[in-house]
Amino acid sequence: MKIKVVENVLKENVRSAREIRARLDEAGVLALNLTSAPGSGKTTLLEATMKALGPEKRAVVLVGDLQTTRDAERLAGGAAEVIQINTGRGCHLSAAQVAEGLDGLTLENVTYLFIENVGNMVCPAGFDLGEHARVVLLSVPEGDDKVAKYPTLFQPADVILLTKIDLLGVLDFDVNRVREDLDRINTRAPLLHLSARTGDGMDGWLEWLGM
Amino acid sequence: MHEMSIATALVKQVLDLAKENALVRIERVELEVGALQLVVPEALDMAFKAASHDTPASGAVLHQEVIPVRARCRACGQDYVPDMDTSYQCDRCGVAEPEILAGRDIILRSLSGPGEDEGGSGEDQGG
Repeated sequence: MKIKVVENVLKENVRSAREIRARLDEAGVLALNLTSAPGSGKTTLLEATMKALGPEKRAVVLVGDLQTTRDAERLAGGAAEVIQINTGRGCHLSAAQVAEGLDGLTLENVTYLFIENVGNMVCPAGFDLGEHARVVLLSVPEGDDKVAKYPTLFQPADVILLTKIDLLGVLDFDVNRVREDLDRINTRAPLLHLSARTGDGMDGWLEWLGM
Repeated sequence: MHEMSIATALVKQVLDLAKENALVRIERVELEVGALQLVVPEALDMAFKAASHDTPASGAVLHQEVIPVRARCRACGQDYVPDMDTSYQCDRCGVAEPEILAGRDIILRSLSGPGEDEGGSGEDQGG
């Protein structure tokens, strides 16, 4: 017997992502899904962003890693709430994990939800987490060829952050090469340059966030 | 290895459908895999084997058909087929601002195997 169907295999993820987005919309929270290679500076960027948000703590941060609570420990204190999700062997966050993380949280007085995805340039791309925008980071030490090498990561990005620009004078990194590759892959997302360490360019990011 | 999350979801879905339709065993599963999911077919195969182990879907053949990317240009409205590995530029206006129309989803198309009323007890069912 053959049973014919047309069913999305990731329907649970799609449903969960839709529910998350609806809940966040109702609460007036802007959700951002941060993806990049490990070590691109996602946590450092969030530390600096929390600092800029000030003592009112208007953000909730959800961090995904295979193991440890180190990122959550770094971010604790700056945000209204920091939730660490350990994915074990999982190479990306799923909407169900985000929903579970948000479960029981009151989103009153929260303006932003930052979801720091597992550092990985392939797997997170296919999983909607209920975010409103996708933020992709590319750090100077990774090299100027990454947009061309990982087009499926950079293509759906709503904003691309070139991080660790304080190392531009130290390493051979050609920003024009990144721009040229983005002309082919994604002309919609702005490319913002910043260094969370020195604070250079942070104003552009904060402005993009609407702060 | 996001193939494991896909396989886990797929096996659950297949088992649910098999139960609903009174299949005693699943012998073949047909899947459409959007190219943008970056699935490595062998990895998905292996993950499916692992996830279906000791279930009625164990040993089923997983047939994967890749669905190419189709896009609509947000700038000029042109429908086009981007080369997802090198360029998403519209072939009419050159802008790389595609709305993705196809190639992102993973769709289960069919499952087959012997049903309860076919006396399916694990033996070959013929037709």
